Amino acid sequence: MAEGAQDYSADVPPVAAEAAPIMAPINMVLLAVFVFLVYLRLRPTPPPTLPKGPPPTVFRTFTPRTLLPFNGENEQPVYLAVRGRVFDVTPGKNFYGPSGPYANFAGRDASRGLACGSFEEDMLTKNLDGPLDPLNDLNDEQKEALEGWEGMFEGKYLVVGKLVAAGSQEAKAAEA
Amino acid sequence: MSQVPNKIEQLDAQFAELLSGWSIYTTILVILISAYVVLPWWFSKDPDLHPILLSRQATPAPVRNAGESATYRSVETPYGFPLKSGLGVKDPGAPRWARGRDGDLRDIWKQAARDPLDQTGQSTGQPGKILTVLGKEEVIEHNLADISRSISIVGSSVQTSNGKRVAIHLPNSLELLTTIFAGSFYGFTVILIPHHQSPSSLFKLLAQTGADTLVSEAGVVPLSDLVERCPSLKSVFLVVEATSRHIDWNPSAEETKGKLSVSIWHELVENGPKDLPLPDNLPEASETKIVTVWEGKNSEERLVEFSQKNLAAAVAALITSLPARERLNPKDLFLPVDSLCSSYPLSLTLAALYSHASVALNSVAGKGIDLALATRNISPTVIAVSAETAAAAHRLAKGSSSTLLRKYSHWLQIRSLKAGVMPRPGLLSSFNATSRPSVGETPGKLRIMYVAERAGTDSPPLSSSDLNDLRVFTGARIVYALTAEKVAGAVAQTNLYDYRRENGPTRNQSHFGGPLSSVEVKVVDTPSHKTLDQGQPQGEIVVRGPAVFGGEASLGVNGVFRDDHTLAYV
Repeated sequence: MAEGAQDYSADVPPVAAEAAPIMAPINMVLLAVFVFLVYLRLRPTPPPTLPKGPPPTVFRTFTPRTLLPFNGENEQPVYLAVRGRVFDVTPGKNFYGPSGPYANFAGRDASRGLACGSFEEDMLTKNLDGPLDPLNDLNDEQKEALEGWEGMFEGKYLVVGKLVAAGSQEAKAAEA
Repeated sequence: MSQVPNKIEQLDAQFAELLSGWSIYTTILVILISAYVVLPWWFSKDPDLHPILLSRQATPAPVRNAGESATYRSVETPYGFPLKSGLGVKDPGAPRWARGRDGDLRDIWKQAARDPLDQTGQSTGQPGKILTVLGKEEVIEHNLADISRSISIVGSSVQTSNGKRVAIHLPNSLELLTTIFAGSFYGFTVILIPHHQSPSSLFKLLAQTGADTLVSEAGVVPLSDLVERCPSLKSVFLVVEATSRHIDWNPSAEETKGKLSVSIWHELVENGPKDLPLPDNLPEASETKIVTVWEGKNSEERLVEFSQKNLAAAVAALITSLPARERLNPKDLFLPVDSLCSSYPLSLTLAALYSHASVALNSVAGKGIDLALATRNISPTVIAVSAETAAAAHRLAKGSSSTLLRKYSHWLQIRSLKAGVMPRPGLLSSFNATSRPSVGETPGKLRIMYVAERAGTDSPPLSSSDLNDLRVFTGARIVYALTAEKVAGAVAQTNLYDYRRENGPTRNQSHFGGPLSSVEVKVVDTPSHKTLDQGQPQGEIVVRGPAVFGGEASLGVNGVFRDDHTLAYV
């Protein structure tokens, strides 16, 4: 009988006698996959962050001369002043920027021009170091037009500063 | 050409060899992996709020002044919109598109006493309730019409005795709330004196505020001392507990020396006219003030006179600060576990009343209260606690969760919070349940806990992980608020769905979320903290808006606006 058994075992591969191998390569591969998945789930994930917005513009006190560079050239923003308030009109660069229809106003006090509905150079205050245009000679219709423009600017653009005459108390305080 | 098929054959052979090792263990591993992949996907929930929304929690103004940060506002009322100034009360008959009135405390009471309306505008016939919790067993439900009647009786009684400034020295109770509303209807100023104040400091505060009337518990303050120490005082209302009403509390002539008129609250109400409607529009009513006592460092006391408008703005902002589906509603039961003499718990209580939620009042309220004690016999769904109380609850719960299973369960729930999901009590979490501070009883389930940090005082700091622990222990979402002396309600409070945990050892106190919609907040440069174009703006916190006493106030503490636009201490 023993001999017969020996013959029999010769036909069958010897693996059947052992327990199924745990350390088989395929098990190792799967185990590695499993460990990797556990790692993926447990690893700390940083919360989503949004890119930081631009820093807020600092409110400034301008004199006609210091406002002048903000005319949209050399990648500067476009500012213009209406009755002492400086508006950032950069979003409307096509109008107020260089070679726009209102380019004359960029970096200047635009009050008189807006009131009179004229976009010519002669509407601007010539003397940058003198007092601001007092606008005393405007008639009611022109005042109304100016208020209309101001309302439009308030709704659309940011007030980023105020315009004061060169040499005034406020200008000196701002410089200090 | 024959190279490529060779390679493929080789690969095939290798693969076959790999697969030849397949055994029962392999099958188990495959099942394990697929379960690990599929099950969480199956059970996973979306976060309560999209994480992107938490990464910007306030809106800064695009322009700032030199020497300070831009003003930050709630996302409800961004730059260019008016801050929330009131409740938007619409009078019957007013045009539908009209902007409502700002309103005052009278409107809050009228709204509370009215039946809530459902979506179709029909009355639901289930007005909110006001409950008083007494001692261990008793919970008394009050009829709102009866409270309206006591408001008018007490109010007219103060009015006839020509009282202009009424000090209230009571624990959280119906009488306290009644007197506050009576003040608003009958045009006298109420002064809320914290109940834990000793008689001597009570006398000092009475003199300081120039009170002419006092509402106090019978037997707490000796009347003869009152006559002596507070000459400005003309009349006293004594509130007597139900169990002590058999005693005659009417004072002898020698006690009062004829200078003090003493009324017993319950006798006054019992003997008052049966039908006394609330006055509709006394001219002086809208000008009445609510004076609170702010207890700063070293128990230094400062008085703040809030106007009706301050409180109306604060209440309105607190109501809308919650996401629409979580707002206070008629199904809620609100319990202030903090003294109603502080503006934040008071504003929240008023917000609950205005939202037709039920309100429970328990004299166990204040700083460092045992939550289990305060909520015995009652199961609130929303509570307001002081930072001391929250810290005590955290210590208690943290100390008791020691076993391995509990720790694992706690870890799982914290993990869920990290993923932005409020954990639901499940099978595993029930192992952790016994360690919870038991807050309330069935059927109400605590869903929101308001925790107030008081700026510039000794209130204990709570870190974001402390708050997460508390979320797990109580099962409630937590709103952590920054409150301040001169600001009605709160300056800022965390988003209800913000469970993010901050890492790093420096973060021993959580941030305070974004400003409420009734205020705008900026930080002003100090010698050590500055706002620069780069980095996070830092400086002393300055608050402005309709909820601020005097319109603008500096808090005297330094804050920082972080990249997610939340306000935190530096």
